[in-house]
Amino acid sequence: MEQTAAFEDDRLNLALNRALTGDAQAFADLVREHQGMVFSIAYHFLQDRSLAEDLAQEVFLELFQSIDRIQSPAHLTYWLRRVTANRCIDQGRKKHRRREMALEEAPEPTTVSSHADPMLLERLQQSLATLPERQRLVVIMRFQEGLGPAEIAEVLEMPVNTVKSTLHRSLADLRKGLTRKIREVRYAFL
Amino acid sequence: MHFSEDDLREALKRKDPGEGFTQRTMGSVNQARVNQSQSESKPVLAKPEKKSNGAFLGWLMHRPAWAIAVVAILLLAFGIGGYQYSEYRHAEEMRIARAKQQQLQQEAERARDQAIMALEIARAKMNHVLRHAQLQAEPNDKIRRERL
Repeated sequence: MEQTAAFEDDRLNLALNRALTGDAQAFADLVREHQGMVFSIAYHFLQDRSLAEDLAQEVFLELFQSIDRIQSPAHLTYWLRRVTANRCIDQGRKKHRRREMALEEAPEPTTVSSHADPMLLERLQQSLATLPERQRLVVIMRFQEGLGPAEIAEVLEMPVNTVKSTLHRSLADLRKGLTRKIREVRYAFL
Repeated sequence: MHFSEDDLREALKRKDPGEGFTQRTMGSVNQARVNQSQSESKPVLAKPEKKSNGAFLGWLMHRPAWAIAVVAILLLAFGIGGYQYSEYRHAEEMRIARAKQQQLQQEAERARDQAIMALEIARAKMNHVLRHAQLQAEPNDKIRRERL
C-alpha cells in the first residue's frame, strides 16, 4: 500500500516537473489526475454540472498560468482545493445567474454501495445545497476530500475552531433539513 | 430519518467528469498557450498598477469572526459618538436658553428702573404744579377774608 502511494507520488512528481518545462502531455496527466477532485468540489457546491465543468476548466487554466509556483504534488492538491473553493464562493455570489437544467445535470450514476439508500443520498445532496456557502464548503472538504479540521482551516483560510463549530452546525442543519423534507413528503402523501 | 457520516461520504463521492473534460480543458489550455505566445511577441505596454482597495474587504469576507468584531466596534463607536453628540447638543441648547433668560431678566430690570424713574419725574412735576397752584390761590383767599 505504502509502495503504491510512493510510486504514485513519484509519478505525479515526474509529471509536475515535466509540466513545469512546458510538456503538454504531462499537464494533461495532472489534469486527468485531479479533475475528479476539482470537478466534484464544484459540482457538490453548485449542484450544476455545466457550471461545475466551466469552473473546473477555469481552475486548470489558472493552474497552467501559475504552474511555476507549484512546488510539489501535495502543494498542487492544496492549491487546487483552495482555488476551487475560492472560485466556488465567487460563483455562489453571482446569485442571479440563470439556472439551466441541462440534460447532463441528472445525478451521476455513481457506484452506490449495497447499504446506501439512493433516496437518502439524493435528499442529502439537496439539503447540502441549502447550506450557506462556507458551511457547504466545509462539509465538502470534510466528507468528499476527507480532510481534517486543520487542513480545512488551511484551505479555506479559517480558524480551526471555526471549522469545527461550522462542521458541527452544518451537520445539525443537514439533519434538520432532512427531517423537514421527510415530513413534507409524508404530508404530501397524506 | 437519520444519516451517518458514511452516508454523507457516499453522497459526496467524487465524480469524474470524463475524458471529454480533459480534452476540452487541454483545448482551452492550448488556446491560452497560443494567446500567451502571441502576446509575448507583441510589444508590452506598461499596465497601470491595480489598486488593492478591496484587499481588506476580501480579507474580512473570509474571516466572519473578524468581520463581526469590526462591525461591533464600528457600531459601538457610532453609538458612543452619537450619544456624545446628543449630550453636546443638549448642553448647548441649555446654555442658549439660559443666556436668553438672563437677557430677558436684564431687560425687565432695565424697564422696571425706567418706570420707577418716570414715576419719580411725574411725582416731582406734580408737586411742582401743586405748589404753584397753592401760591396762586393764596392772594384770592386773603381778599375774600378781607371782604367778609
